Amino acid sequence: MARTITLRTTSRSAATSVAQGATLESPWVRWTLTSIAIVFLGLFLFMPLAVVFVSAFGKGIAAYFASFREPDALAAIRLTLLAAGIAVPMNLVFGVAAAWAIAKFEFIGKSLLITLIDLPFSVSPVVSGLVYVLIFGLQGLLGPWLRAHDIKIIFAVPGIVLATIFVTFPFVARELIPLIQAQGNDEEEAALTLGASGWQTFFRVTLPNVKWGLVYGVIICNARAMGEFGAVSVVSGHIRGLTNTMPLHIEILYNEYQFVPAFAVASLLALLALLTLVVKSVVEWKSQQDLKEPEEDWSVEPA
Amino acid sequence: MSIEALGVTKKFGQFTALDNVDLEIPSGELVALLGPSGSGKTTLLRIIAGLEFADSGTIRFDGRDISDRTVRERQVGFVFQHYALFRHMTVFENIAFGLRVRPREHRPSREKIRAKVQELLKLIQLENLAQRYPSQLSGGQRQRVALARALAVEPSVLLLDEPFGALDAKVRQELRRWLRQLHDEIHITSLFVTHDQEEALELANRVVVMDHGRIEQVGAPDEVYNHPATPFVYNFLGNVNLFHGRVDGGKTYIHERETGHLVYVRPHLLDIARLPNGGDHFRARIKHINAAGPLVKVEAVTDWGALVHVEMPQDRFSTLHLLKDESVFVIPRDLKVFKVHEAER
Repeated sequence: MARTITLRTTSRSAATSVAQGATLESPWVRWTLTSIAIVFLGLFLFMPLAVVFVSAFGKGIAAYFASFREPDALAAIRLTLLAAGIAVPMNLVFGVAAAWAIAKFEFIGKSLLITLIDLPFSVSPVVSGLVYVLIFGLQGLLGPWLRAHDIKIIFAVPGIVLATIFVTFPFVARELIPLIQAQGNDEEEAALTLGASGWQTFFRVTLPNVKWGLVYGVIICNARAMGEFGAVSVVSGHIRGLTNTMPLHIEILYNEYQFVPAFAVASLLALLALLTLVVKSVVEWKSQQDLKEPEEDWSVEPA
Repeated sequence: MSIEALGVTKKFGQFTALDNVDLEIPSGELVALLGPSGSGKTTLLRIIAGLEFADSGTIRFDGRDISDRTVRERQVGFVFQHYALFRHMTVFENIAFGLRVRPREHRPSREKIRAKVQELLKLIQLENLAQRYPSQLSGGQRQRVALARALAVEPSVLLLDEPFGALDAKVRQELRRWLRQLHDEIHITSLFVTHDQEEALELANRVVVMDHGRIEQVGAPDEVYNHPATPFVYNFLGNVNLFHGRVDGGKTYIHERETGHLVYVRPHLLDIARLPNGGDHFRARIKHINAAGPLVKVEAVTDWGALVHVEMPQDRFSTLHLLKDESVFVIPRDLKVFKVHEAER
């Protein structure tokens, strides 16, 4: 069946040898679709990115670097790194644990857990920020208790960290669940029969098998943690030098018509995005390599 | 080490995988658990390994009750149908795994581990592939590595779950012979699961035939083949012709209709002749002849319309010169009679 289709299409369009088989479209369709995609990406993705860098360097390199010597800018960068530095490891641990539980076991409330993991994806970040204000804020549920114990969460660093954890909750778990499910139980069972403990099995068998997925989940999680605006904006209170993260700092600068510093800080986030893309490509390439069988026969002597 | 299962029952929801199974495997034997899929053979193997726990019943190793021990404590060697090699580790690391994960006080030195792995690599004849990854090996090589990995921890028993199930026919043959030799050398109590009757009969000292979560028969290969205890065993261990029959005064009569008994005859226990031999026989017309292979397979239709399969050696076939559509006499040399309710159990 497949062979007859191939024969028919190759005779119909023998000139083009790129695409083959039943899915072959005529050249003008392919070119039109490709051009639309390229024009779209250029207009809406590449040009804005270019604008960020052009504006950032609009008044020269000196002005660009001067933007980072600003104490408020430094504080914003530091706070962003701190929030991501706490949120990413926590979500890493949580994500691995949740993915493991969901992929390996049947338990009551499993579908509820899956839904909860997806919740941050479906709820607007502003709403999640507001929820934290309603719980931890001065007028909130725990407000009186927190004030009595002199703990400040909202309009302070803990609130920002909490909001960041919330919005970056799903990334690692979502990346790992299908991977761990696809691995099956065989290798873990084999490890157990060979006398490995649960932890040994996890660290020596399960984790290495999903390591690239894990790396990918972590970098995506990190990118989102550093770039989060909505939820953090609600809980931050915008106190300059204290509770402003990079995205919030950029907004303030922009509203004050300080375009060069605004775009200079923005360019850092853009660079982070580019770096994430590079790491992602490397990771994908690496995991491809792991799956691929090498062409040549490398009969190495036993070490 | 001997293995005993006493009254083992296991249910998965509504499905009864094992129904009060008793089994005893003496030390040093190579035993096959044979049965169709869903017969409970893999479940029994996994319960013995400790990968699954029985709802009720006891597992004993050398008379000691180990039902509550975890798979880790039981120290069994387990070989999986799809190898379950650690894909991110080399062959060497795979085999060394069981030794490397031991608690520090029991862990052999690096040199000892290396020596042990080398010894096993030699045993599986893959010494020059130590640094390869599982994805770079053929199916047969992978299964040998899996076996070496299981043997590295010097297990008390070796359990194999359809060990050759994922391999092609030729490799399967070789590996079977190799496993037989290996067992002759190291005499480890081994239990393997298979749905292939030929494999079970060829490889094992003893065959355990299972169906519907119960053991139908346990015995030496020739015993279960030649003296099947139940119709199921007869049916499962080879091709069979099935007739309705009646037993009267020590004689068996074959009938068209249901008459209370079922008569089982293996195709190679039927002979064909042009003339009645004065003994037992019935008439049939030859419908199809397949002369490819060591045995000639003849299909014939009886007077009452039933299909009969006959197998005979090539030389017998050439003396007879059978032709299609010829009327002949079919002579059973041996047959087995079961009561109908027995067969339908």
